[in-house]
Amino acid sequence: MANPMLEILRGLIYGNILPVGKLSPGARVFATLMGRHGDIVPFLAPQIHDHAMTVAKVPARKYYYDAELLVDTELAVERWYGFDAPMITADNYNFEVEALGAKMVYSDYGMPAVDTNQPLIKERADLDRLGALDPTKGRIPVGVEIARLSAAKGLGLFANGLFCSPFSFICAATGYPKAVRALRKDPAYAKELFDYAENKAIFPYLKAQAKAGVKQTIGADAWSAFPNLTPEMVDEWVVPSAMRLKERGKKDLKMRVSAGAAAADYCEEDPAKFNKEIMFKCLSVALKLLPMNMTMTVMGRTQDWDMRWVQEFAVKNKKWGRKLPIYASLNSRFVRDSTPQQIVEKIREWINIMGRDGGLMFFIGNVPADTPPVNVHTALQAVHKLGHYPIAKDLSAITVEPHKFTPFDDWLKGQPEADVIFKAREKK
Amino acid sequence: MGEGLYQAISKAVTEGEEEEAVKRVQEALKSGSPPVEIMQRGIVAGISKAGELWKANEYFLPDVIMAADAFKAAMAVLKPSLKEGEGAKKGKKVVMGVVQGDVHDLGKSLVIAMLTSAGFEVIDLGIDVPLQKFIDAAREQKPDIIGLGAYMTTTMLEMKSIIAELEKQGLRRKLKVMVGGVPTSQEFADQVGADAWGKDALDAVQKALKL
Repeated sequence: MANPMLEILRGLIYGNILPVGKLSPGARVFATLMGRHGDIVPFLAPQIHDHAMTVAKVPARKYYYDAELLVDTELAVERWYGFDAPMITADNYNFEVEALGAKMVYSDYGMPAVDTNQPLIKERADLDRLGALDPTKGRIPVGVEIARLSAAKGLGLFANGLFCSPFSFICAATGYPKAVRALRKDPAYAKELFDYAENKAIFPYLKAQAKAGVKQTIGADAWSAFPNLTPEMVDEWVVPSAMRLKERGKKDLKMRVSAGAAAADYCEEDPAKFNKEIMFKCLSVALKLLPMNMTMTVMGRTQDWDMRWVQEFAVKNKKWGRKLPIYASLNSRFVRDSTPQQIVEKIREWINIMGRDGGLMFFIGNVPADTPPVNVHTALQAVHKLGHYPIAKDLSAITVEPHKFTPFDDWLKGQPEADVIFKAREKK
Repeated sequence: MGEGLYQAISKAVTEGEEEEAVKRVQEALKSGSPPVEIMQRGIVAGISKAGELWKANEYFLPDVIMAADAFKAAMAVLKPSLKEGEGAKKGKKVVMGVVQGDVHDLGKSLVIAMLTSAGFEVIDLGIDVPLQKFIDAAREQKPDIIGLGAYMTTTMLEMKSIIAELEKQGLRRKLKVMVGGVPTSQEFADQVGADAWGKDALDAVQKALKL
């Protein structure tokens, strides 16, 4: 990636003063984040770890334990697809509980999973018994190395560490029903759980990241999405917790700590229950947790949404005369299960509704392991072709054919990540 | 005795008041109310109401969890008093499990609570269930439906192998297969050859009733 400050400057100039020329992918994203538009609608790299592992045919038992392999594989697969901004993710919800001794299930084919049927925290006394996380234990050093490498390998402003946000940590450590029971029936215990999560489990991990030079870190929090938690519960519990971690990170670690990523994400599964009022409440609460003003969608069943609602929210909450940038996420199952043409049509519809006045970015919630690569390639091609500014008056007149692409292995030869990936495939 | 107490049980279950539900079931048993009536008009009515509120966007997952807790606690108190087969005499038999490599229990627990409340007899194989265990259960238990759950995009692929094996062993003729879990979809269910896909616990029950 080019100099990040120059990319921001280029994006700012293009978005605000002089919209001429072709932007670099990074500058394109920054122009959009300003609520303006770049040369084309950008497509940000999604959570892709399982899919990248599958595409690159590397074994799970190496991939999730070797920071360099994980980072290189994701970077290579993301570049093969052509995303505008990179993102490195791992099984973010597992690192802290695993290091504290939670029972895990390891697999030959996918990421490790926490066995919440044998919970790490069964009762109050366990909090004292467990004590503070030792950052040398489990895969914490791998997590720290992933964060360090993502900066070292040139992700620039998109480089960040990862951690599990407090409520999702509590769910991983106690099981979701017990976590919810505590919030609903035993707030004193819930406060103890949050205190433990923030200060004893997560903070030592953040400290290890800061020591490795990580400047910003993001805490995944899918367990706080709707309807796991109502927006009111997120407001009461998750937002204050994220603020505490943010302050402590700033004061003690000089690091930007953003907990609560995907909290309050509107994930209603039943189209018959879609409700504008609840969706707007969710989007409003999520705004409090985001590092910048944005209309954020991540994991919801967006293929069935009326995107005019999202556009309305973004316009209604405009800042400095510009609508909030929209982070529009294609549902992961939609991307996996649809035909390339269905994906093209959905993108055409969204750009028509949300893209004409700028401030639109595409994303995919989480690319499932078995997603046909042609679907992702076609999505990228469709966004870049249909999202070319100025947006065509009649988008229906533009055809986008399923993308013909070079097979990953052929493309990989000669790429900087080739040796690491090919070597990982060798049996030891 | 009677209606008022059934309503109190139902209300306690709907509102997720576990202790209150248990207390009221004990009271009803002590007063001589028939266990089947306590179950149908109290406990099942309560969880069904929670399902309706969920459907109407008035209840969210935390509310359903609380109601399911109260349902389980109330049923645990009642179960010894129910004669064998009494609780599910009209229901179909369902074998449920989360596929191998996957240990996520929440969705399955909710589906089991809702199926039980709808009168199904449910045999819970648990989590991280190997393919062979599903095959053995299909052979031995002779269920009407097998329910397969998965939470991860990698483990869900196991469902295809299980369905193929059931087919191969000639066990599919009288057996319906349902799949469910966060990464699954109707399209996925079609691809793997399942008979139905449950998008959530309530939907799973409605589909199971139609199979």
